[in-house]
Amino acid sequence: MGERIARLVLAYSPLGALVRRVARVRASVHSKLLAAFLLIALLLIALGVTSLESIAGVARQSRLLDQARERVDAMRQIEHAFGLQMNFMRNALALRDDASIESIFRENNRFHDTFNRLEDSAGPSQRDAIRSIRRTQDQVMATVARIAALIRDDKADEAMDLHLSEGYPLYREIATQVTRAVREEEAGMGRIREGVEATYRRALLLTGGFAAASIVLALGLGFVISWSFILPVREAEGFLGEVAKGDFGGSIEVPNRDEFGSLARQMNEMSRELHQLYDEQRRAAHQLRALNAQLEQASRAKSDFLASMSHELRTPMNAILGFTEMIRDGLYGEIPPDIQEPVGDIHTCGKQLLGLINNVLDLSKIEAGHMELAPSEYVVEDVVNTIKLSLRALAASKGLELVTTVVPDLPLCLGDGKRITQCLMNLAGNALKFTAEGRVEIRVEQEGEHLRFAVADTGIGIPADQIEHIFEEFRQADATVTRDFGGTGLGLAITKKLVELHGGRIWVQSEPGKGSTFFFTIPVRVTQEAPA
Amino acid sequence: MKTVLYVEDNEFNRKIVRQLLGRTSYRLIEATDGEAGVSTARAERPDLIIMDIQLPRLSGLEATRQLKAAPETADVPIIVITSFALAGDEQKARDAGAAAYLAKPYSPRELLGMIRDLAPES
Repeated sequence: MGERIARLVLAYSPLGALVRRVARVRASVHSKLLAAFLLIALLLIALGVTSLESIAGVARQSRLLDQARERVDAMRQIEHAFGLQMNFMRNALALRDDASIESIFRENNRFHDTFNRLEDSAGPSQRDAIRSIRRTQDQVMATVARIAALIRDDKADEAMDLHLSEGYPLYREIATQVTRAVREEEAGMGRIREGVEATYRRALLLTGGFAAASIVLALGLGFVISWSFILPVREAEGFLGEVAKGDFGGSIEVPNRDEFGSLARQMNEMSRELHQLYDEQRRAAHQLRALNAQLEQASRAKSDFLASMSHELRTPMNAILGFTEMIRDGLYGEIPPDIQEPVGDIHTCGKQLLGLINNVLDLSKIEAGHMELAPSEYVVEDVVNTIKLSLRALAASKGLELVTTVVPDLPLCLGDGKRITQCLMNLAGNALKFTAEGRVEIRVEQEGEHLRFAVADTGIGIPADQIEHIFEEFRQADATVTRDFGGTGLGLAITKKLVELHGGRIWVQSEPGKGSTFFFTIPVRVTQEAPA
Repeated sequence: MKTVLYVEDNEFNRKIVRQLLGRTSYRLIEATDGEAGVSTARAERPDLIIMDIQLPRLSGLEATRQLKAAPETADVPIIVITSFALAGDEQKARDAGAAAYLAKPYSPRELLGMIRDLAPES
């Protein structure tokens, strides 16, 4: 609700323009707040000063009123003193004694004291009236002196006449003058009272006006200042919301030239940076996708190449090995004895060449990710017996003992039996190759969920610094090894990759001069194909 | 007398089988590409076909599929010679309808045994 009102005010009132103008002022938030508070404080100080002045005015007029009241009292005393003097005069005329006359003079002295007091406090207009009363009183005293002289001379009738012709009218005049002065003084008091009331009303209006203006100004300033801060914050909120949603590259427009303005500039800078980064990332992703497509194409090409290479190499090998086999089988008649050996050599070398071709193609397939295992159930004893049968002749020819041990009661295993045989064949073949005397032992055990194959020999061993490279392609422990023992150095690399493809691992323990033991593990049941 | 059709584009390999079967009662006919293999099989109705997997014009697998699809040749057993090129070749040969498969390089002795199994020499 309040929010909607604020929005309406911002849209349709000049306050909206003021909010933008305040935002555009090139000053810090701190200065703007300080200025607003100072303005309100100044207004409150002005309000205070006006109130004080009004109070002082009322006090001044009250004092004037008091003085006027004192003067009216004094006038009443004078009236009273005249009344007494008149009375004394009547006594003196009736009794013809000096004492009454004395009383008149005594009253006259008191009258003078009062007059002096009056003259001190009176204003200029009243001072004239008072002087005129005093002058008349002086005439009265002169007349009273003459009447007193006549009474002393026992000229009572003359005294009476003088009193009636001069004294009495003078007294009457004084009474009239005093009455007029009192009336004037009272009229003055009325005016002062009205003045006090006017001052009071003015003070009330002024104070109320100032207070109302202060409230309106404070509210207005509060509205303007706070909205000049709230608007950019709202803008930033919306903007950051979009950035959070991943919509980069937008910008924020605020009129502010304060901290909010610089914040907005920095946010725009950030947005530009983010957008640039996003673009770069998108470009990179696009390039990556294109590269990936190229790689896939290259991989397909490699796969096609492998297929055709395999075929092209095997086709002539087929003829070479096929013809030699048929010759040796006597298909073309009995072989002359001196040709038997070279025909056997051709066959052996042909087989070696085939082995080499197979190894190179296997490795290429593994590296191209095309080597797929064909898991099926196999019996470990069968694998070991295949090896033993294949290598028995080689072992015997070198005078080596070939021992195989398979722990009894192994479960039926699941895996690519052919590939596992290939691995064990590689290791056992190597062991026989690198052992001049002693024995080669193949041992298979179960370790939990894994089979552990071990091939131990009493051969030349592997130097410690070369053990870590032994499973790399085209590596044999020593370059001279290739010369002395032959081989391509591919067998271990392929074995390692096939073992890992099964989800197993391979390692070696060796001591130069004493022999080596190669180990590898294969899950008893290869549940899923491990990535190539 | 049984007739064996060998579909193979390499002369030397055809020569091996020619000489291998020369001492037996089998009659050998030859074709050097997939299309020729299919048409010869239809024309000659051999008792056994040996099909190389990689052939010009029409691959050995496709030729095997076509022969197995045609009623007049569907019953002829086919030995597919694979080259162990990629995993799955054997399965593909089986799927195409091969009765048996042999990987190159094959042993002539083994091939002869296989021929005798599938098409006994009467």
